[in-house]
Amino acid sequence: MKTTQQIHEYHLWNKLSKHRSLVSFNIELTARCNNNCHHCYINLPAGDTRAIEKELSRLEINRIADEAVELGALWCLLTGGEPLLRNDFSQIYLDLKKKGLLVSVFTNATLINTEIVQLFKQYPPRAVEVSVYGITAETYEEVTRKQGTFIAFQNGLKLLLDAGIKVRFKAMSLKSNYHEMQRIAEFCRSRSDDVFRFDPFLHLRYDLNEKRNKEIITQRLTPSQIIALERSDIERTDSVKKLCNQQQNATENTTASNLIFNCGIGKHDFTLGWDGTFRLCSALQHPECVYDLRKGNLKDAWLNFAPKVLNMRREPNSIDDCYNCRLVNLCSWCPAHSYLENGSLVTPIKDFCESAHARNKAFGVIDHQTSEHEEI
Amino acid sequence: MDIDLNTKYRITDDVVAREIEGELIIVPLTSGIGDLEDELFTLNETGRSIWAKLDGSHTLKQVIESLNQDFQDSSGSVEGDVVGFVKELIRMKMVITASDE
Ligand code: SF4
Ligand code: SF4
Repeated sequence: MKTTQQIHEYHLWNKLSKHRSLVSFNIELTARCNNNCHHCYINLPAGDTRAIEKELSRLEINRIADEAVELGALWCLLTGGEPLLRNDFSQIYLDLKKKGLLVSVFTNATLINTEIVQLFKQYPPRAVEVSVYGITAETYEEVTRKQGTFIAFQNGLKLLLDAGIKVRFKAMSLKSNYHEMQRIAEFCRSRSDDVFRFDPFLHLRYDLNEKRNKEIITQRLTPSQIIALERSDIERTDSVKKLCNQQQNATENTTASNLIFNCGIGKHDFTLGWDGTFRLCSALQHPECVYDLRKGNLKDAWLNFAPKVLNMRREPNSIDDCYNCRLVNLCSWCPAHSYLENGSLVTPIKDFCESAHARNKAFGVIDHQTSEHEEI
Repeated sequence: MDIDLNTKYRITDDVVAREIEGELIIVPLTSGIGDLEDELFTLNETGRSIWAKLDGSHTLKQVIESLNQDFQDSSGSVEGDVVGFVKELIRMKMVITASDE
């Protein structure tokens, strides 16, 4: 019998996800970014001194990550803002790897240089996920609103790919790059075998900045633009059709109780905010759902605070629309985004709602007709 | 590959062992560990007992004697297990001789 066995991540994940236990966490290393994307929900200016002062130090990150490891976490995602903006990124990355964590990194790739590539080659990340805002300088910089960022993105990406670092791509679809989305998808799929995903649901800002929120709303695609985009992409069409077919299940799950959170948050992961906040998911900013890890500790947050949040309930016998809605899988609605949009955890999100109905009309009905037809 | 019973072996610093849900999981830290990229490893009971003793301060002979005592085994099968296991770990670059730095 072999003494050493290879073990796949999904085997471990399955084993760990049978009961509530910490298995992964995200760290927002900073809320700052060198880009200034129209649609971004977390980007303070790169040189924002007040933000820099509030950022967790390397020491604080290590203390919290040690606790996470002690609680059993195995996966860790470094995100931002732009995580590579931090001067101590490499040290923090290595600290986390040395704890036996499987570390992934989200980046816009503009700050990737030979030292970072060397680090990733020697100490491989589980994945590097790169956001692609356009594949021409014009479109890319229309989104990022910073000159020279397209060249920086191209150079950074080339360094990663030439070094054989595993890259996964993602894109947000907004008015500024809508016309280029198909070419963005082709660009990404031709450079990575990993799944490419694009998201047309632009979320509002974590800092609730009203002026920036207005900009985000103006950048949202209309329902018909979303449908056209999804129709033009076979992979996307298939996945939306699948979501349409899962409608009934969603209803059964969400009406089962008066719990506010039915989405599985807080069972296996959490987000460590750039300023030391503990959140059950990155978007959940409601003050009653946030714990300050600078004043407490992770064990207390995970074992005592989180269960209280997970047990928050709606008004008895309330019939909140989204909790009884068959389209919840199609609209990206959740209590966290409801709070960012409406200041309440349980209210529909108008723009998402319209898009969900349009998607159902476009893909749900077609799919049912097709399957009936096939059965004959 | 010859294994010298008078040599001291130790786990390399390029892997991290994690106890997760009762399993010992070996997480590669650097590239080139194991046969495939992106794999984690787990050890069976025998492997775990040997792993715990590969601390670089005892020769393999001492490790075998100590395991014989732990298992109260005089059949000689422990030696075969240890040598086989250490060979496997050296091939996968998880174990080095204590003098290799
Ligand atoms: S690159 Fe990413 S983090 Fe930076 S502004 Fe754009 S969307 Fe935000
Ligand atoms: S936002 Fe609209 S489509 Fe989405 S769950 Fe609520 S009611 Fe349903």
